Amino acid sequence: MSKEVRIKDIGKPSKQLIKLRLEDLMKLPPPYDKPGEEPEMTEPKEEWREKYITELDGYIAIDVPFEKPKTKEEEQRLIQRFLEGLKKLLDKENNWTFLQPLLLSLEFCAKCQTCNDACPIYLSSGKKEIYRPTYRSEVLRRIWKRYLTPAGKVFGKFVSGDIELNWYTIARLAELAYRCTLCRRCTQVCPIGVDNGLIAHEIRKLFSQEMGVAPKALHELGTVQHLRVGSSTALTPEGFKDIIEFIEDDIKERTGKNIKIPVDEKGADILLIHNAGEYLSWPENPAAFAIIFEEAGISWTLSSELVGYDAVNYGVWYDDVQLARIARKHVEVARKLDVNRIVVGECGHAHKALCVVADRVLADEYNIPRESCMPILWDIVRKKKLNLDPEKNNFPVTLHDPCNMVRLMGVVEPQRKILREICPQFREMEPHGVYNYCCGGGSGFAIMTSMNFPEWRNKVATRMKFKQILTAFQDCIDPSIKKYVCAPCSNCKGAIRDMLDHYQATMKCGIYYGGLVELMVNAMVDIEEPFIEMF
Amino acid sequence: MLTPLQISSYLAFAIFVVVVVWKFVKYATMPIHLRWELYPVPHEPEHEHGGSFFEHQNIWQLERKHDKLNELKEMFEEMLFIKRMFQNKRDLWYVSWPFHAGVYLILVWLALLFIRAVLVIAGVHSLVPIADALIMIAGAIGVIAATLGCLGLLIKRVGSWELREYSAGVEIFNLLFVLAVLLTGLFAWIKFDPNFNIAKEYMLSLVSFGSQPMPELPKPILVHLILLELLFIYIPFTKIAHYVGKYYTFHTVLWEDAINKPGSEVERKVKRCLQFRVSWSAPHIAGRTWAEEAANPKLDVIERWKP
Ligand code: SF4
Ligand code: SF4
Repeated sequence: MSKEVRIKDIGKPSKQLIKLRLEDLMKLPPPYDKPGEEPEMTEPKEEWREKYITELDGYIAIDVPFEKPKTKEEEQRLIQRFLEGLKKLLDKENNWTFLQPLLLSLEFCAKCQTCNDACPIYLSSGKKEIYRPTYRSEVLRRIWKRYLTPAGKVFGKFVSGDIELNWYTIARLAELAYRCTLCRRCTQVCPIGVDNGLIAHEIRKLFSQEMGVAPKALHELGTVQHLRVGSSTALTPEGFKDIIEFIEDDIKERTGKNIKIPVDEKGADILLIHNAGEYLSWPENPAAFAIIFEEAGISWTLSSELVGYDAVNYGVWYDDVQLARIARKHVEVARKLDVNRIVVGECGHAHKALCVVADRVLADEYNIPRESCMPILWDIVRKKKLNLDPEKNNFPVTLHDPCNMVRLMGVVEPQRKILREICPQFREMEPHGVYNYCCGGGSGFAIMTSMNFPEWRNKVATRMKFKQILTAFQDCIDPSIKKYVCAPCSNCKGAIRDMLDHYQATMKCGIYYGGLVELMVNAMVDIEEPFIEMF
Repeated sequence: MLTPLQISSYLAFAIFVVVVVWKFVKYATMPIHLRWELYPVPHEPEHEHGGSFFEHQNIWQLERKHDKLNELKEMFEEMLFIKRMFQNKRDLWYVSWPFHAGVYLILVWLALLFIRAVLVIAGVHSLVPIADALIMIAGAIGVIAATLGCLGLLIKRVGSWELREYSAGVEIFNLLFVLAVLLTGLFAWIKFDPNFNIAKEYMLSLVSFGSQPMPELPKPILVHLILLELLFIYIPFTKIAHYVGKYYTFHTVLWEDAINKPGSEVERKVKRCLQFRVSWSAPHIAGRTWAEEAANPKLDVIERWKP
């Protein structure tokens, strides 16, 4: 069998390496099994082609100009810069953060392809070669072998395989690093433990840390804005305080409860940090947290200090230096407030960034415990600190497992224990728990909305999740039955919101989405009006 | 008096050991990395559902328990049966597993030859027949399984597009090399040494440092032996030594979940790394130590690579 795209083709001078077609993509369950049920795919605009990298698949993740060199010398300079970056990835001081895992993954892949069918992107795309988990890894591996190892320099192609390093290779590799959600499902099945997700992560770092090239949503409007303004949503401390007031009023209106949300209260047990996206897009989520924590008598506070009210850390997706800076800021805020621990709200990547990955960039007084909100919430339900009536949640509910919280952090059971307790029609998706599929918004995709990237996300990256959701609700797929996808993560919610919108699944299938705490408040006996609105 | 052949056997073995140890040391002495574990982590008591200590509150006070037994179980299932490939790539497993199992048996066979020689030298003759029987079983099954598996791997590697496309020439060469050693071994065994007597005598001569006579080696056995020695020297420099990698990927990356608590060994290592200098060229990085970069972000310039 011959395939259209070979590994060496990454360096082939051509307009576009592949073109996705609707009919090639993975089939969806009813009612999407008939033609015409989902939007067609579009062509990239011609003007984009001049400025951005459309040479991979026509989609643009890197929405900053990546100019084509005009002369051979310019191209050589680019190649040199790229190789410099690659050397730094393999250097102890510059990349102690991931040197060992990276080298292991570069050196020991057995090319057995066991990992392929674990990848939702590869499967959803209809097994397009460039999305095979090993494709981008093999490109980087070949460049490393050929240009930076003695064996490659002496024996050339015989040990490295065929690869040419030119503008096309580098530009396409930069885009290709953003066709993987870093979900690491492939790593779970690899017999050697090789990590293709990590390799994508390291390629992103090379471009960001060496060349300053990263999607705007992650860097300029992401980590940079976060550190400068206080939040990657551009929410300022003043804006934050206004929203808190608004949320207090809203709670009063919807529930009749007078709740004063604690902000900047020194000496509390817990500093709770939400993804600031919640305040702007889903304020009912921080509201529900406030209702629950107050009702349960938890000693907690929010922070209004710069960075302290936004738990996100986009650095974890593309830049270790930015990761360290934001994590450090988070703990600085907690230190000033003299809390015992930081607790992260419903945000998966913030969970992993602050509790797991950044655990090793903190030391001395800047190291304080960082934990998930899930065990606290379960504790509240288990100890019956709230008066809950499951009948109030008597509609079909399924749970999406955020990769960062579950596969990459091991917080699996508390959230489902809560759902089993308070949602009589709770059903699992398959597969679930640590074997879940990514929502498709992972690694920054949920917030990357430039040009045609959302189309790629909706068509390819979230397709598997959409299939899972439809399958979980097949017995009640009629739109007149309202159903709820519980996604305890802001980014996942963002991706699911866009997915439902793209496929018009709320209208066609009656599928709604939201967080976990909303379901808890919705079940509270003393709140008369439904807290969750599905209409 | 040692013959050149015997000396080459010692040398091949010594090079093998030294380079493998060097590889282990290379990975063992790398700096601590950021936590990057992947669940299920088998030593977590809640490994059944892939849970971690993060499912509990106050993680610093938590008394961590490790289910070492389950970790060993998971390790052996993967080492001995290649569980992940069995579950996710069955067609390849049908050839990969016999190959690996065959190689393990050949290693057991070598170890048994060694033990037998020690028994003979030590005069424990009563145990020698047991060793002989085991040598026969391990050697026969091992060489047959490994040869068939290796042939199968080669056919798959060349015949399947997805395997061939991702292989460099050296990866095919490695299989051919191993196959050559196995085929010459198979031939030598069937034709010249059906009871492994020559192998036993040769091992005895090696273990006794030449005080026991070296057997006459028919040409095909000699060819096999030289090829085997070359393979021993070659392996540690290649990906055939992926067992080194496999140890580290699982034990120091995917299952490594030690918390950085104040005063801990992890913290000591982290502090050392934070003093490393960052020399990345992007404008938001200022070339200071990691600790300084983290404490005082430089964010005034946003500039990208330009040709
Ligand atoms: S990453 Fe692992 S599973 Fe995938 S080809 Fe390499 S060794 Fe095989
Ligand atoms: S990390 Fe996830 S998206 Fe990336 S290659 Fe692996 S399975 Fe695919």
